[in-house]
Amino acid sequence: MMTVASSGNRYLERPSSGGLAEVVDLILDKGLVIDIFVRVSLVGIELLTIDARIVIASVDTYLRFAEAVNRLDLARTGTETRGLPGLMEEISEGGAKHKTKGAVEGVKDKAKEIIHGDDEDDDEDEEYENESEEADEPEEEEEPEPEEVKPRRRSRPASGKARDR
Amino acid sequence: MTESTSQTPGAGWYVYGVVRESGATTEVEALPTVASSDAHVTYVRHRGIAAVVSKVSDDRPLGTPDDLRAHAQVLDSLAAGSEPVLPFRFGTVLRDAQAVTDELLVGGYDDFMTALDRLEGSAQFTLRARYVQDEVLREVLDEQPQAQRLREELKHMSEDAGYYRRIELGQILAEAIADKRDMDAVEIDRCLAPLAVAVAPEEPGAADAVADVSFLVDGKRRAAFEEAAEDLARRWHGRIRLRLFGPVAPYDFVTEAMAGLGERR
Repeated sequence: MMTVASSGNRYLERPSSGGLAEVVDLILDKGLVIDIFVRVSLVGIELLTIDARIVIASVDTYLRFAEAVNRLDLARTGTETRGLPGLMEEISEGGAKHKTKGAVEGVKDKAKEIIHGDDEDDDEDEEYENESEEADEPEEEEEPEPEEVKPRRRSRPASGKARDR
Repeated sequence: MTESTSQTPGAGWYVYGVVRESGATTEVEALPTVASSDAHVTYVRHRGIAAVVSKVSDDRPLGTPDDLRAHAQVLDSLAAGSEPVLPFRFGTVLRDAQAVTDELLVGGYDDFMTALDRLEGSAQFTLRARYVQDEVLREVLDEQPQAQRLREELKHMSEDAGYYRRIELGQILAEAIADKRDMDAVEIDRCLAPLAVAVAPEEPGAADAVADVSFLVDGKRRAAFEEAAEDLARRWHGRIRLRLFGPVAPYDFVTEAMAGLGERR
Protein backbone atom coordinates (compact mmCIF):
# COMPACT_ATOMS: atom_id res chain seq x y z
CA MET A 1 0.00 0.00 0.00
CA MET A 2 1.38 3.37 -0.85
CA THR A 3 1.14 6.12 1.61
CA VAL A 4 2.69 9.48 1.65
CA ALA A 5 4.73 10.22 4.70
CA SER A 6 3.19 12.95 6.69
CA SER A 7 5.50 14.49 9.19
CA GLY A 8 2.71 16.40 10.88
CA ASN A 9 1.09 13.25 12.24
CA ARG A 10 2.15 12.65 15.79
CA TYR A 11 -0.76 10.62 17.07
CA LEU A 12 -2.32 9.39 13.88
CA GLU A 13 -0.56 6.31 12.55
CA ARG A 14 0.21 6.34 8.86
CA PRO A 15 1.42 2.86 8.00
CA SER A 16 3.73 2.93 5.00
CA SER A 17 2.84 -0.59 4.06
CA GLY A 18 0.00 -2.70 5.22
CA GLY A 19 0.30 -6.24 6.45
CA LEU A 20 -1.43 -8.93 4.53
CA ALA A 21 -4.51 -8.72 6.69
CA GLU A 22 -4.80 -5.05 5.91
CA VAL A 23 -4.37 -5.58 2.20
CA VAL A 24 -7.07 -8.21 2.34
CA ASP A 25 -9.40 -5.88 4.19
CA LEU A 26 -8.69 -3.13 1.75
CA ILE A 27 -9.13 -4.91 -1.56
CA LEU A 28 -11.12 -8.04 -1.05
CA ASP A 29 -14.64 -7.86 -2.30
CA LYS A 30 -13.98 -4.35 -3.59
CA GLY A 31 -13.74 -2.87 -7.02
CA LEU A 32 -15.58 -3.23 -10.26
CA VAL A 33 -17.02 -6.56 -11.14
CA ILE A 34 -16.35 -7.11 -14.75
CA ASP A 35 -19.35 -9.17 -15.63
CA ILE A 36 -21.44 -6.07 -15.48
CA PHE A 37 -20.45 -5.99 -19.13
CA VAL A 38 -19.67 -9.46 -20.17
CA ARG A 39 -19.21 -12.80 -18.63
CA VAL A 40 -15.59 -13.55 -18.09
CA SER A 41 -13.73 -15.56 -15.59
CA LEU A 42 -13.79 -13.88 -12.28
CA VAL A 43 -11.81 -15.63 -9.66
CA GLY A 44 -13.80 -13.81 -7.10
CA ILE A 45 -14.23 -14.07 -3.47
CA GLU A 46 -17.66 -12.89 -2.54
CA LEU A 47 -18.01 -15.39 0.22
CA LEU A 48 -14.75 -14.82 1.93
CA THR A 49 -15.20 -11.57 3.66
CA ILE A 50 -18.23 -12.96 5.33
CA ASP A 51 -15.80 -14.65 7.64
CA ALA A 52 -14.33 -11.30 8.47
CA ARG A 53 -17.51 -9.32 8.79
CA ILE A 54 -19.85 -11.75 10.41
CA VAL A 55 -19.81 -11.04 14.00
CA ILE A 56 -19.83 -13.82 16.41
CA ALA A 57 -20.91 -13.62 19.97
CA SER A 58 -19.87 -16.80 21.62
CA VAL A 59 -19.31 -17.96 25.12
CA ASP A 60 -15.68 -18.23 24.19
CA THR A 61 -15.53 -14.53 23.41
CA TYR A 62 -17.17 -13.63 26.70
CA LEU A 63 -14.75 -15.78 28.62
CA ARG A 64 -11.84 -14.04 26.98
CA PHE A 65 -13.22 -10.66 27.91
CA ALA A 66 -13.73 -11.77 31.46
CA GLU A 67 -10.20 -13.06 31.62
CA ALA A 68 -8.84 -9.80 30.27
CA VAL A 69 -10.66 -7.71 32.80
CA ASN A 70 -9.58 -9.96 35.62
CA ARG A 71 -5.96 -9.51 34.68
CA LEU A 72 -6.43 -5.80 34.34
CA ASP A 73 -4.41 -3.67 36.68
CA LEU A 74 -6.76 -1.05 37.94
CA ALA A 75 -4.01 0.96 39.55
CA ARG A 76 -3.33 2.87 36.33
CA THR A 77 0.37 2.66 36.68
CA GLY A 78 0.89 5.25 34.04
CA THR A 79 1.08 5.47 30.34
CA GLU A 80 3.43 2.58 29.80
CA THR A 81 0.65 0.06 29.80
CA ARG A 82 -1.28 2.00 27.26
CA GLY A 83 -1.01 0.94 23.73
CA LEU A 84 0.85 -2.21 24.58
CA PRO A 85 -0.29 -5.27 22.79
CA GLY A 86 -3.08 -6.78 24.80
CA LEU A 87 -5.66 -9.43 24.54
CA MET A 88 -7.66 -7.57 21.97
CA GLU A 89 -4.76 -7.42 19.63
CA GLU A 90 -4.18 -11.09 20.09
CA ILE A 91 -7.79 -11.69 19.30
CA SER A 92 -7.78 -9.49 16.27
CA GLU A 93 -4.49 -10.77 14.97
CA GLY A 94 -5.69 -14.27 15.38
CA GLY A 95 -8.81 -13.32 13.57
CA ALA A 96 -6.88 -11.66 10.82
CA LYS A 97 -4.64 -14.65 10.30
CA HIS A 98 -7.60 -16.88 10.14
CA LYS A 99 -9.31 -14.58 7.76
CA THR A 100 -6.36 -14.32 5.46
CA LYS A 101 -5.88 -18.00 5.34
CA GLY A 102 -9.53 -18.44 4.62
CA ALA A 103 -9.35 -15.87 1.89
CA VAL A 104 -6.46 -17.48 0.18
CA GLU A 105 -7.99 -20.89 0.36
CA GLY A 106 -11.31 -19.53 -0.73
CA VAL A 107 -9.81 -17.99 -3.81
CA LYS A 108 -8.37 -21.31 -4.69
CA ASP A 109 -11.64 -23.03 -4.11
CA LYS A 110 -13.35 -20.49 -6.23
CA ALA A 111 -10.75 -20.92 -8.90
CA LYS A 112 -11.29 -24.63 -8.80
CA GLU A 113 -14.98 -24.14 -9.05
CA ILE A 114 -14.66 -21.89 -12.04
CA ILE A 115 -12.14 -23.97 -13.77
CA HIS A 116 -13.78 -27.27 -13.13
CA GLY A 117 -17.38 -26.36 -12.70
CA ASP A 118 -17.66 -24.34 -15.85
CA ASP A 119 -17.75 -25.24 -19.45
CA GLU A 120 -15.52 -28.22 -19.52
CA ASP A 121 -13.43 -30.29 -17.28
CA ASP A 122 -9.79 -30.76 -17.75
CA ASP A 123 -7.09 -32.87 -16.29
CA GLU A 124 -5.61 -30.35 -13.93
CA ASP A 125 -7.31 -31.61 -10.81
CA GLU A 126 -4.29 -33.06 -9.16
CA GLU A 127 -2.30 -29.93 -9.51
CA TYR A 128 -4.98 -27.83 -7.88
CA GLU A 129 -5.48 -30.29 -5.13
CA ASN A 130 -1.82 -30.04 -4.31
CA GLU A 131 -2.00 -26.30 -4.21
CA SER A 132 -4.76 -26.42 -1.67
CA GLU A 133 -2.94 -28.84 0.52
CA GLU A 134 0.09 -26.63 0.56
CA ALA A 135 -2.00 -23.78 1.82
CA ASP A 136 -3.31 -25.94 4.59
CA GLU A 137 -0.24 -26.22 6.75
CA PRO A 138 -1.65 -25.60 10.18
CA GLU A 139 0.52 -23.02 11.86
CA GLU A 140 -2.26 -21.92 14.10
CA GLU A 141 -4.81 -23.94 15.85
CA GLU A 142 -8.16 -23.69 14.22
CA GLU A 143 -10.75 -21.36 15.45
CA PRO A 144 -13.45 -23.17 17.35
CA GLU A 145 -16.86 -23.34 15.84
CA PRO A 146 -18.91 -20.38 16.93
CA GLU A 147 -21.73 -21.45 19.11
CA GLU A 148 -24.00 -18.82 17.89
CA VAL A 149 -23.92 -16.46 14.98
CA LYS A 150 -25.96 -13.37 15.28
CA PRO A 151 -26.52 -10.79 12.63
CA ARG A 152 -24.49 -7.62 12.91
CA ARG A 153 -24.68 -4.69 15.23
CA ARG A 154 -25.00 -5.84 18.78
CA SER A 155 -23.14 -9.03 18.59
CA ARG A 156 -19.55 -7.96 18.22
CA PRO A 157 -16.80 -8.63 19.44
CA ALA A 158 -15.86 -10.99 16.76
CA SER A 159 -14.40 -14.38 16.70
CA GLY A 160 -10.74 -14.86 17.12
CA LYS A 161 -8.20 -17.52 17.58
CA ALA A 162 -8.81 -19.69 20.55
CA ARG A 163 -6.44 -18.93 23.32
CA ASP A 164 -4.32 -21.53 24.92
CA ARG A 165 -5.46 -22.61 28.24
CA MET B 1 -19.38 -17.42 -25.46
CA THR B 2 -16.49 -19.80 -25.49
CA GLU B 3 -14.38 -19.83 -22.39
CA SER B 4 -10.69 -20.28 -22.35
CA THR B 5 -10.74 -23.29 -20.12
CA SER B 6 -9.78 -25.57 -22.96
CA GLN B 7 -6.39 -23.89 -22.83
CA THR B 8 -4.22 -23.72 -19.80
CA PRO B 9 -6.32 -22.83 -16.79
CA GLY B 10 -5.42 -19.43 -15.46
CA ALA B 11 -3.75 -18.33 -18.67
CA GLY B 12 -4.93 -14.95 -19.85
CA TRP B 13 -4.74 -11.30 -19.00
CA TYR B 14 -5.18 -10.20 -15.45
CA VAL B 15 -7.01 -6.87 -15.24
CA TYR B 16 -6.12 -4.49 -12.41
CA GLY B 17 -8.18 -1.54 -13.49
CA VAL B 18 -8.82 1.16 -16.02
CA VAL B 19 -7.12 4.55 -16.40
CA ARG B 20 -7.06 7.32 -18.96
CA GLU B 21 -4.27 6.94 -21.45
CA SER B 22 -2.70 10.02 -19.93
CA GLY B 23 -2.60 8.15 -16.63
CA ALA B 24 -0.94 5.07 -18.11
CA THR B 25 2.40 5.64 -16.47
CA THR B 26 5.42 3.47 -16.98
CA GLU B 27 6.25 3.41 -13.27
CA VAL B 28 4.06 0.42 -12.61
CA GLU B 29 5.84 -1.67 -15.20
CA ALA B 30 8.53 -2.58 -12.71
CA LEU B 31 6.13 -3.76 -10.02
CA PRO B 32 5.46 -7.42 -9.23
CA THR B 33 2.43 -8.81 -11.04
CA VAL B 34 -0.35 -11.13 -10.00
CA ALA B 35 0.30 -14.82 -10.55
CA SER B 36 3.46 -14.53 -12.55
CA SER B 37 7.09 -14.00 -11.74
CA ASP B 38 8.24 -12.88 -15.16
CA ALA B 39 5.33 -10.84 -16.49
CA HIS B 40 5.16 -7.05 -16.51
CA VAL B 41 2.33 -4.65 -15.97
CA THR B 42 1.28 -3.18 -19.27
CA TYR B 43 -1.69 -1.44 -20.88
CA VAL B 44 -4.30 -2.29 -23.45
CA ARG B 45 -5.36 1.01 -25.00
CA HIS B 46 -8.59 2.04 -26.62
CA ARG B 47 -9.76 5.57 -27.60
CA GLY B 48 -8.08 7.43 -24.78
CA ILE B 49 -8.60 4.90 -22.01
CA ALA B 50 -6.42 1.97 -21.07
CA ALA B 51 -6.84 -1.26 -19.13
CA VAL B 52 -4.02 -2.00 -16.73
CA VAL B 53 -3.12 -5.63 -17.30
CA SER B 54 -0.45 -8.26 -16.97
CA LYS B 55 -0.12 -11.68 -18.41
CA VAL B 56 -1.11 -14.56 -16.18
CA SER B 57 1.24 -17.31 -17.13
CA ASP B 58 1.30 -19.62 -14.15
CA ASP B 59 -0.93 -22.64 -14.11
CA ARG B 60 -2.18 -22.00 -10.66
CA PRO B 61 -5.20 -20.34 -9.13
CA LEU B 62 -4.87 -16.76 -8.06
CA GLY B 63 -4.90 -15.82 -4.46
CA THR B 64 -1.54 -16.15 -2.80
CA PRO B 65 -0.58 -13.36 -0.40
CA ASP B 66 1.81 -12.05 -3.03
CA ASP B 67 -1.01 -11.96 -5.56
CA LEU B 68 -3.12 -9.86 -3.24
CA ARG B 69 -0.25 -7.52 -2.51
CA ALA B 70 0.63 -7.16 -6.18
CA HIS B 71 -2.94 -6.24 -7.03
CA ALA B 72 -3.04 -3.55 -4.36
CA GLN B 73 0.43 -2.26 -5.09
CA VAL B 74 -0.20 -1.70 -8.79
CA LEU B 75 -3.48 0.09 -8.15
CA ASP B 76 -2.25 2.16 -5.22
CA SER B 77 0.79 3.17 -7.19
CA LEU B 78 -1.46 4.45 -9.95
CA ALA B 79 -3.69 6.16 -7.38
CA ALA B 80 -0.70 7.99 -5.97
CA GLY B 81 -0.33 9.82 -9.28
CA SER B 82 -2.48 12.68 -10.44
CA GLU B 83 -4.78 10.68 -12.70
CA PRO B 84 -7.78 8.66 -11.52
CA VAL B 85 -7.85 4.88 -11.60
CA LEU B 86 -10.83 2.53 -11.56
CA PRO B 87 -9.86 -0.57 -9.58
CA PHE B 88 -11.30 -3.93 -10.55
CA ARG B 89 -12.12 -6.64 -8.12
CA PHE B 90 -9.30 -8.99 -7.32
CA GLY B 91 -9.23 -11.99 -9.59
CA THR B 92 -10.46 -10.55 -12.86
CA VAL B 93 -8.97 -12.39 -15.83
CA LEU B 94 -9.77 -12.11 -19.51
CA ARG B 95 -8.76 -14.44 -22.26
CA ASP B 96 -6.41 -12.20 -24.22
CA ALA B 97 -5.70 -8.61 -25.22
CA GLN B 98 -8.41 -8.73 -27.84
CA ALA B 99 -10.98 -9.68 -25.23
CA VAL B 100 -9.80 -6.83 -23.02
CA THR B 101 -10.50 -4.40 -25.83
CA ASP B 102 -13.65 -5.89 -27.29
CA GLU B 103 -15.42 -7.09 -24.22
CA LEU B 104 -14.22 -4.67 -21.61
CA LEU B 105 -13.06 -1.33 -23.03
CA VAL B 106 -15.53 -1.07 -25.89
CA GLY B 107 -18.51 -2.23 -23.89
CA GLY B 108 -17.76 -0.16 -20.83
CA TYR B 109 -16.34 2.88 -22.57
CA ASP B 110 -18.95 5.47 -21.67
CA ASP B 111 -19.26 4.31 -18.09
CA PHE B 112 -15.51 4.26 -17.62
CA MET B 113 -15.20 7.79 -18.98
CA THR B 114 -17.92 9.02 -16.64
CA ALA B 115 -16.44 7.29 -13.62
CA LEU B 116 -12.94 8.59 -14.39
CA ASP B 117 -14.33 12.10 -14.56
CA ARG B 118 -16.17 11.66 -11.30
CA LEU B 119 -13.17 10.37 -9.44
CA GLU B 120 -10.85 12.97 -10.92
CA GLY B 121 -8.80 14.74 -8.29
CA SER B 122 -9.85 12.62 -5.34
CA ALA B 123 -8.37 9.65 -3.53
CA GLN B 124 -9.47 7.11 -0.99
CA PHE B 125 -8.32 7.17 2.60
CA THR B 126 -9.23 4.31 4.89
CA LEU B 127 -9.36 4.82 8.61
CA ARG B 128 -9.09 1.93 11.04
CA ALA B 129 -9.90 2.75 14.64
CA ARG B 130 -9.10 0.26 17.40
CA TYR B 131 -9.64 0.39 21.13
CA VAL B 132 -6.73 0.24 23.49
CA GLN B 133 -7.90 -2.72 25.49
CA ASP B 134 -6.93 -1.83 29.04
CA GLU B 135 -8.24 1.67 28.81
CA VAL B 136 -11.63 0.75 27.44
CA LEU B 137 -12.02 -2.03 29.99
CA ARG B 138 -11.26 0.44 32.78
CA GLU B 139 -13.89 2.76 31.39
CA VAL B 140 -16.43 -0.02 31.41
CA LEU B 141 -15.60 -1.05 34.95
CA ASP B 142 -15.94 2.55 36.08
CA GLU B 143 -19.31 2.83 34.44
CA GLN B 144 -20.76 -0.61 35.18
CA PRO B 145 -20.97 -1.39 38.90
CA GLN B 146 -22.23 -4.85 38.13
CA ALA B 147 -19.13 -5.67 36.13
CA GLN B 148 -17.00 -4.37 38.97
CA ARG B 149 -18.89 -6.54 41.45
CA LEU B 150 -18.63 -9.68 39.32
CA ARG B 151 -14.95 -9.08 38.90
CA GLU B 152 -14.48 -8.89 42.66
CA GLU B 153 -16.52 -12.03 43.24
CA LEU B 154 -14.53 -13.98 40.72
CA LYS B 155 -11.30 -13.28 42.51
CA HIS B 156 -12.38 -15.59 45.29
CA MET B 157 -13.79 -18.38 43.17
CA SER B 158 -12.23 -21.37 41.53
CA GLU B 159 -12.23 -21.53 37.79
CA ASP B 160 -15.01 -24.10 37.70
CA ALA B 161 -17.17 -22.40 40.26
CA GLY B 162 -16.92 -19.08 38.49
CA TYR B 163 -17.65 -20.32 35.03
CA TYR B 164 -21.12 -18.84 34.61
CA ARG B 165 -20.19 -15.63 36.36
CA ARG B 166 -17.29 -15.22 33.99
CA ILE B 167 -19.62 -15.59 31.04
CA GLU B 168 -21.95 -13.04 32.57
CA LEU B 169 -19.09 -10.64 33.16
CA GLY B 170 -17.79 -11.10 29.64
CA GLN B 171 -21.18 -10.45 28.18
CA ILE B 172 -21.58 -7.23 30.14
CA LEU B 173 -18.19 -6.10 28.94
CA ALA B 174 -18.85 -7.02 25.34
CA GLU B 175 -22.16 -5.20 25.31
CA ALA B 176 -20.80 -2.13 27.03
CA ILE B 177 -17.99 -1.94 24.49
CA ALA B 178 -20.50 -2.31 21.66
CA ASP B 179 -22.36 0.72 23.02
CA LYS B 180 -19.17 2.73 23.16
CA ARG B 181 -18.35 1.65 19.66
CA ASP B 182 -21.61 3.03 18.36
CA MET B 183 -20.96 6.40 19.97
CA ASP B 184 -17.34 6.61 18.91
CA ALA B 185 -18.16 5.67 15.34
CA VAL B 186 -20.62 8.56 15.21
CA GLU B 187 -17.91 10.88 16.47
CA ILE B 188 -15.53 9.77 13.72
CA ASP B 189 -18.20 10.46 11.18
CA ARG B 190 -18.97 13.86 12.66
CA CYS B 191 -15.33 14.95 12.53
CA LEU B 192 -14.27 13.57 9.17
CA ALA B 193 -17.26 13.07 6.91
CA PRO B 194 -17.78 16.80 6.26
CA LEU B 195 -14.29 16.92 4.74
CA ALA B 196 -14.93 14.03 2.38
CA VAL B 197 -16.73 13.77 -0.93
CA ALA B 198 -18.19 10.40 0.04
CA VAL B 199 -18.04 8.01 2.96
CA ALA B 200 -18.14 4.22 3.02
CA PRO B 201 -18.33 2.67 6.47
CA GLU B 202 -17.71 -1.02 6.89
CA GLU B 203 -18.89 -3.36 9.54
CA PRO B 204 -15.73 -3.95 11.51
CA GLY B 205 -15.13 -7.53 12.51
CA ALA B 206 -12.31 -7.36 15.02
CA ALA B 207 -13.01 -7.53 18.75
CA ASP B 208 -11.18 -4.29 19.37
CA ALA B 209 -12.61 -2.45 16.38
CA VAL B 210 -14.22 0.93 16.78
CA ALA B 211 -14.76 1.57 13.10
CA ASP B 212 -13.40 0.91 9.63
CA VAL B 213 -14.37 3.76 7.37
CA SER B 214 -13.23 4.76 3.92
CA PHE B 215 -13.39 8.35 2.76
CA LEU B 216 -13.17 9.72 -0.73
CA VAL B 217 -11.23 12.94 -0.29
CA ASP B 218 -10.76 15.72 -2.78
CA GLY B 219 -7.11 16.66 -3.24
CA LYS B 220 -7.86 20.25 -2.23
CA ARG B 221 -9.21 19.15 1.14
CA ARG B 222 -6.71 16.44 1.80
CA ALA B 223 -4.62 18.50 4.20
CA ALA B 224 -7.68 19.52 6.19
CA PHE B 225 -8.86 15.94 6.30
CA GLU B 226 -5.52 14.65 7.52
CA GLU B 227 -5.41 17.38 10.12
CA ALA B 228 -8.86 16.49 11.40
CA ALA B 229 -7.84 12.84 11.64
CA GLU B 230 -4.75 13.83 13.55
CA ASP B 231 -6.84 15.95 15.93
CA LEU B 232 -9.08 12.99 16.61
CA ALA B 233 -6.10 10.70 17.17
CA ARG B 234 -4.66 13.18 19.65
CA ARG B 235 -7.93 13.55 21.49
CA TRP B 236 -8.29 9.77 21.78
CA HIS B 237 -4.66 9.04 22.43
CA GLY B 238 -4.26 6.10 24.80
CA ARG B 239 -7.88 5.12 24.35
CA ILE B 240 -8.34 4.56 20.63
CA ARG B 241 -5.64 3.90 18.11
CA LEU B 242 -6.21 5.48 14.71
CA ARG B 243 -4.46 4.29 11.59
CA LEU B 244 -4.99 6.01 8.27
CA PHE B 245 -4.20 4.25 5.00
CA GLY B 246 -3.95 6.20 1.83
CA PRO B 247 -4.08 7.61 -0.66
CA VAL B 248 -5.12 4.28 -2.13
CA ALA B 249 -7.16 3.42 -5.20
CA PRO B 250 -10.89 4.13 -4.75
CA TYR B 251 -11.80 0.53 -3.97
CA ASP B 252 -14.86 1.49 -1.96
CA PHE B 253 -16.13 4.16 -4.31
CA VAL B 254 -15.60 2.93 -7.81
CA THR B 255 -18.82 0.97 -8.04
CA GLU B 256 -20.77 3.97 -6.91
CA ALA B 257 -18.94 6.19 -9.39
CA MET B 258 -19.89 3.82 -12.18
CA ALA B 259 -23.48 3.53 -11.12
CA GLY B 260 -24.00 7.22 -10.64
CA LEU B 261 -25.75 6.59 -7.38
CA GLY B 262 -24.68 7.03 -3.81
CA GLU B 263 -24.11 9.60 -1.20
CA ARG B 264 -21.94 12.15 -2.89
CA ARG B 265 -22.14 15.36 -0.96
